[in-house]
Amino acid sequence: MSIQEYISSGIVESYVLGLISDEEAREFEQMCTKHPEVLAARTAFELALEKQAMENAITPSLDVRNKIFEEISGTGKVVTMQQPVARKTNWFKYASAASVILLAGSIYWNIMLSNKNKDLQNNYNNSVAELSEIKKDIQVLQANPTVKMAAMGGQEASPTSFATVYWDTTSHDVYLMVNNMPKPASDKQYQLWAFLDGQPVDMGLIEITEKPLQLYRLKKAQAAQAFAITLEQKNRPDISKPAGTVYVMGKL
Amino acid sequence: MNTKITYSEQELVALLRQRNEQGFAYLYDNYSGALFGIVNGIVTDKEIANDVLQNVFVNIWRKIDSYDASKGRLFTWMLNIARNASIDEIRSKGFKDSQKNQSLGENVDSIGVSIGPLVDDVGLRKVLTKLKDELRVLIDMSYFQGFTHEEIARALDIPLGTVKTRIRSALIQLRTMIQ
Repeated sequence: MSIQEYISSGIVESYVLGLISDEEAREFEQMCTKHPEVLAARTAFELALEKQAMENAITPSLDVRNKIFEEISGTGKVVTMQQPVARKTNWFKYASAASVILLAGSIYWNIMLSNKNKDLQNNYNNSVAELSEIKKDIQVLQANPTVKMAAMGGQEASPTSFATVYWDTTSHDVYLMVNNMPKPASDKQYQLWAFLDGQPVDMGLIEITEKPLQLYRLKKAQAAQAFAITLEQKNRPDISKPAGTVYVMGKL
Repeated sequence: MNTKITYSEQELVALLRQRNEQGFAYLYDNYSGALFGIVNGIVTDKEIANDVLQNVFVNIWRKIDSYDASKGRLFTWMLNIARNASIDEIRSKGFKDSQKNQSLGENVDSIGVSIGPLVDDVGLRKVLTKLKDELRVLIDMSYFQGFTHEEIARALDIPLGTVKTRIRSALIQLRTMIQ
């Protein structure tokens, strides 16, 4: 039997629909590895079947969705660090630790300012407002299970750099925490990028402040697979494309 | 700007393997309708179909590690889970009790042409109505009711070889109909 005859014998459809003996299935799998045209015919039928099923979709009730999520929730594997349950726990720990550090940092900052500045009360009020803003942001992040985190590790230019992006998949808000990055020269500044299908999308310029672990709110990202920060010349004419060096980068 | 996240099949499989609930939510939102269509082609009772769909997705979540991309696309794998779960359901005792009017009894020899779900307006079943009766019966029994070729040969009293050839030729026709 020629390959063409084999392909058009109905074996492809029988295999895909599971109407085949185990022995024939094994033989078919071998044919797929040996003959790309068999594999192509299989994929083509699978796609046709998928299209047909999509066109005949029946939307189930929301109740079914809820029940499924109730049943699977919290059943993730314990061994994998990337699994969502463990990550969520880490995130809460991290967030509460971070908020403590933020609080400490902000208070320290206030005291420093109060020593230097007579307008103590004014500054104090400002920073309390700012702190509550940050706390609010953190609360939003904490309360929202749809927030994804991208830990961005240092790249060749600055291996010890580290920053974290929190991306709310529903509101699309993007928050950046600069954990450890060198202060840029006065004519340079950092810029955050989101990567969507390998293409960088400008997420905004970062005005680094002296405050430790500052949480920056940047542009909204509709979708992203990864984030990165580059060091760019200030006042660049076209900021829509990165031109500088990558400092940190991480996947969602 | 793109307002919807789309995952490639590969990315989706990777997320599922990490037991990523967001990836799973994406999978559900994109494929539950298609799989529910498959289930409804086999299980007619709406309530039971809901339960089967729930099982299907819980099984996808639990068994994703057994998915082997070299053997087929993710959707094909899910489709076969949906089909098998549906067939298991209609063959289970509980279902037969709840569907007394259509009950087949335990004996394969009593299978007739008219048994099984009779909804002809759903998905592949709709396509099936275009086949000649002698071929339609075979697809109905093998694909929608999960009988083996041997069981069908015995039930319809036709040679095993003929069952196999007819199913193949019915599938070739089905293929041209859905493309």
